[in-house]
Amino acid sequence: MKFYYFHLMPYVMEHDEPSSWVTLSNRFYDPKQGQILYNQYLDQLEYAEALGWDGLCVNEHHQNCYGTMPSPNVMAAMLVRRTSRAKIAILGNGLPLRENPLRIAEEIAMLDVASGGRVISGFVRGISAEYFSTGANPTHSRERFYEAAELILRAWTEPGPFPENPLRIAEEIAMLDVASGGRVISGFVRGISAEYFSTGANPTHSRERFYEAAELILRAWTEPGPFPFDGKYYRYHYVNPWPRPIQTPHPPVWCPSQGSSETVEWAAKRRFPYLMVFTPIKRIAQIYGEYREACQRHGYTASRYQLTVNVPIVVAENDARAAEIAKKNTMWVFNTGLRMHPPFWRPPGYMTEASLRRILQNPPPLPSDLTFEQADREGYIVYGSPATVRDKLKVFSDELKAGIVCSGMNGGSHEATLEMMQLFAEEVMPHFREDAEVDETAGVGR
Amino acid sequence: MPPARRELSIRGTSVHMLSDGAGPPLLFLHGAGGGGRWLEFQERLAKTFTVLSPSHPGHGGGSPTAEWIEHISDLAFHYMDLLDDQRLPRVHVVGASFGGWIAAELATMASHRIASLVLIDPLGIKVDGWIYPFLFGMDIPEVVATVFHNPMAALALAPPDQSPETLALQYRQGTALARVAWNPHLYDPLLRRRLGRIAAPTLLCWGAHDRLAPLSPCGDTWAKEIPGARLRVFAESGHVPHLEEPEAVAQAVLEFCRSEGAS
Repeated sequence: MKFYYFHLMPYVMEHDEPSSWVTLSNRFYDPKQGQILYNQYLDQLEYAEALGWDGLCVNEHHQNCYGTMPSPNVMAAMLVRRTSRAKIAILGNGLPLRENPLRIAEEIAMLDVASGGRVISGFVRGISAEYFSTGANPTHSRERFYEAAELILRAWTEPGPFPENPLRIAEEIAMLDVASGGRVISGFVRGISAEYFSTGANPTHSRERFYEAAELILRAWTEPGPFPFDGKYYRYHYVNPWPRPIQTPHPPVWCPSQGSSETVEWAAKRRFPYLMVFTPIKRIAQIYGEYREACQRHGYTASRYQLTVNVPIVVAENDARAAEIAKKNTMWVFNTGLRMHPPFWRPPGYMTEASLRRILQNPPPLPSDLTFEQADREGYIVYGSPATVRDKLKVFSDELKAGIVCSGMNGGSHEATLEMMQLFAEEVMPHFREDAEVDETAGVGR
Repeated sequence: MPPARRELSIRGTSVHMLSDGAGPPLLFLHGAGGGGRWLEFQERLAKTFTVLSPSHPGHGGGSPTAEWIEHISDLAFHYMDLLDDQRLPRVHVVGASFGGWIAAELATMASHRIASLVLIDPLGIKVDGWIYPFLFGMDIPEVVATVFHNPMAALALAPPDQSPETLALQYRQGTALARVAWNPHLYDPLLRRRLGRIAAPTLLCWGAHDRLAPLSPCGDTWAKEIPGARLRVFAESGHVPHLEEPEAVAQAVLEFCRSEGAS
């Protein structure tokens, strides 16, 4: 016989309320206590593997003190990396409770791959109360369940949204925030153009849905529940997610974007850091300028930690070797990684007509057409010896005054990448550490 | 003589309308890309009918986007408003492709206002065993290959140039279409069951080589669902027989309206 260790992750408490589900206000949830519990519970599951249990079970329930795992996939993700042998049985996902079943297919597949095939995927409809706490229509539940299950199975087996229920996002980020002791930063994005083809989401609603979903998530994190939300795209009678995030008033929110003026304005107004991804330096400077101006207009001066950038970095023993690696590995990201059937770049209604007209005046090159020489000249990439990379990054830190550089590396092999990371950490990073004592998330992103 | 161009305001929504001819009124509802164009098909109909050819809001002819239009039924109500505005109690309705979808929605709501209904390769219903190819994921050559049996006929809808202004207007049209037809793609899940309500005499015109909504199973399904509908097939056409065989389709429309004695 096999033995699986099953956890509910309850928030054990006494109360006099009529219901432990749906309406039990999340004011009763103490995130500090939640952090201790999550970590104890995860310790228990990890220990179960060490003691010889064959499998570990996580499950899904919403808005209650009975089980604080609204997203079993989040907990499974933590277990995947801390265990090596045990099966991980994910005894959600409530298929009709999620708007886009492909998202489930994607997440389970991620866990399955990362765990080396240890995942068991539950398919459930969710118990009765879940239809009150998620706003899903119970009269469609069985039909949606069958349709979602079929879609997930086909997504897994046949060769080949993401506008996910936003309350689900609020729950998942809050779980991670509590379990990590408040180390989570939450990006809010619309998804790039092609995502509207791969998820079926309507791009013409994208901006409006983004604003509405963001508002709902922020309110779910900050206002004591339960409260009703009656939007155009999302409607709930009971918004009351357990857990609440540990960071106050909520985890910092970042806006990765390509520089549309509407998003610049929205992020600046809310003090959300703006992350420019894979953009030439001149355009970063221009958008940072617009962002700073917008912040002034909203009555404050942008912190440098609101200006962030994602630029690929290659560091090697000398410039020539770095150029060689960049040509091969970094340009792959643009030339192959971002190669796209042209219609996928421009789904109708994703951009406002004003943004489109601005782009048409001065169309940027398609990433697949970007040459190494142009990427080098215009600063899409940073590469060189440690000294050269230091000089190039000084442009970001001193001229653009970016506060945070997010970047990945690719040395060509796992070992070469680890070596490159070490070289960067030893020879480059220490030269930019004058703010070592500053908490980059203090006072920004919320 | 060129058709009269009129700018209307229909319950606050700007509409660009072309019209010409004399005789009983006929409302022509164009397909995607057909807004603001007066082509041979309309010209031929105008010999017998007063042809009213409005652009759907956001669909060319300079008609601005109407943000309130978010569902195909919004367009059907919009055309009821237009008939009211023009004081037309009863008209012939001809709709092609996307326009056929709107016309069918309109007919399920208000058959009593339709003297006769002609649907040319209409979209709009879920057909068992068929998924409409995803137009929004296609580049122009793919769209042309999907829609036209005779690609030369596509020249009638070709944009004048590739200027930013033209591209922006095309984007506006694509957006107006996507607002109501992205997902579900090109159909309203509720429409098929409602087709049984259509009481107007109905002619279905279908291109034998339609690759977007093939005669079998799409045309067959429409013929089965609309009570008493007649089906005529055009041998040299794809999805847009009124552009590919304008003379034959116009003739079929005239004959049908005459035979129904309603003209």
